Amino acid sequence: MANWLAQYWVQALGLILGAVAWEVVGRAGISPALPPISAVIAAGNELWSSERFIESVRTTAISILIGLPPSILIGVILGLLMGLLPPVEWFFRPYVNASLSLPLVAIIPIILLIFGLSQTTIVVVIVLYVLPVVMVNTFAGVRGTDRDLLDMARSFNAQRGLVIRRIILPSSRALTLAGVRIGVGRAITGGIVAEQVIGVLGVGGLVQRLGGAFAVEALYAVILFIGAVGVVSLALINRIERRYQIKET
Amino acid sequence: MIEVKSVSKIFTRNGKSFEALRDVSFGVATGRFISLIGPSGCGKTTLLKMMAGLIEPTEGVIEIGGKEVTGSGPDRALVFQNFVLLPWADVLTNAAFGLEARGIPKKERAEIARAHLDRVGLGGFERHYPHELSGGMQQRVGIARALAVDPDTLLMDEPFGSLDAITRKVMQHDLLRLWQETATKTTVFVTHSMEEAALLADEVVVMDTRPGRVAQVVEVPFPRPRDQALSDSPDYVQFTAELSHNLEQMQRIDMARSLDDESNADG
Repeated sequence: MANWLAQYWVQALGLILGAVAWEVVGRAGISPALPPISAVIAAGNELWSSERFIESVRTTAISILIGLPPSILIGVILGLLMGLLPPVEWFFRPYVNASLSLPLVAIIPIILLIFGLSQTTIVVVIVLYVLPVVMVNTFAGVRGTDRDLLDMARSFNAQRGLVIRRIILPSSRALTLAGVRIGVGRAITGGIVAEQVIGVLGVGGLVQRLGGAFAVEALYAVILFIGAVGVVSLALINRIERRYQIKET
Repeated sequence: MIEVKSVSKIFTRNGKSFEALRDVSFGVATGRFISLIGPSGCGKTTLLKMMAGLIEPTEGVIEIGGKEVTGSGPDRALVFQNFVLLPWADVLTNAAFGLEARGIPKKERAEIARAHLDRVGLGGFERHYPHELSGGMQQRVGIARALAVDPDTLLMDEPFGSLDAITRKVMQHDLLRLWQETATKTTVFVTHSMEEAALLADEVVVMDTRPGRVAQVVEVPFPRPRDQALSDSPDYVQFTAELSHNLEQMQRIDMARSLDDESNADG
């Protein structure tokens, strides 16, 4: 418990130091693109409660909520199948590997051409961006199953279903959850970047417009908000993960 | 009755082949406890896994009860050196795994597993997880899991090999008692401890390395039921000393041979 508390203190210290450094650099007046954090928060105070900001956040959140759960579900299922059945792995491997290294901005225009200036485009980008990491992590979890445990199951003539339920699923859980965690981060990134390319929808659209208007302080305020959302959502997932581990090991 | 008939095994990896066993033959009469012993690399574990049906021989056959072994079967149960318990499942679930694999309903398998946990001295630990238990206790779960399916043949792969000396002694004597109570379970016990083999087994099959083969089959002359007192008797001490001496000799020859091989390779 003491360790826990220490962790919070160090984290708080890091954030405070970061803020102070930002303020100092901002006040030095190096560039108009580097405003002090106090100015950013002042701009944020106005922006965060404004209608257009809330509307943008809602749009982005809806895209993520539509795109993320099916990506996780399908990603886990396909990852499991890849781990269990080699032909499925052979089939998907080139696609998964290619999509893991493909730059997101390269595929957005194509999807835009197909689905138009709509939320569908955003959702499709999120799915394409999240799916492969969830797949590849789940796959790695299945393949990483302890061979001795599988031998043990075989020595008792265990049926495939039992092996999956009692051995493969629990042993791949940690990596699968890691994939989900990365997937959540990628859903946020993917969604916002896609919106930015499209330029009108959601938080990404807002970023684009603020950037175009040289509203630097407000732009930073949006970035701060996105960062905060990332921190909070990953902390939530970590909490779920911990709960599982305590229960299951 | 287990019959090992001219079994050879060649492992091939990356184009290199390794002869693990050459022309191994011996028999184990039903209800006997035999120990496979030999230096590392003599193929004793490979042979045991063949009996379990986890590895296929390259040549020759293993027959159990007159039938050729082609895979694992409900007539056999294996106890592993490193226990191989499910870390995410409690002791009861682990002990019941073999029964679950056999499709025995939950209530019934819990009952049977509980009875066997009691027999190995783990009554009251049903809801604990493996990581909460010592190595010796974890292996007791492994033994309970094997005994719970009531196999005709019990296959044990250096089951006490990773335990400390004192725990090992306690486990040996508990297994001796347990086995003598149950009797009639044909048992093959892999070890590299002569003391362990002589205490537990009716017969010791001594193996040599490169290639793995049977060097000697020795009948253990001590009558059953045996108990702890046996390990202090002069006969036992002399018997194990002689066999240990043979084993050491083999190991020395093997070491000298590998040195030769290396210098030949260099030259």
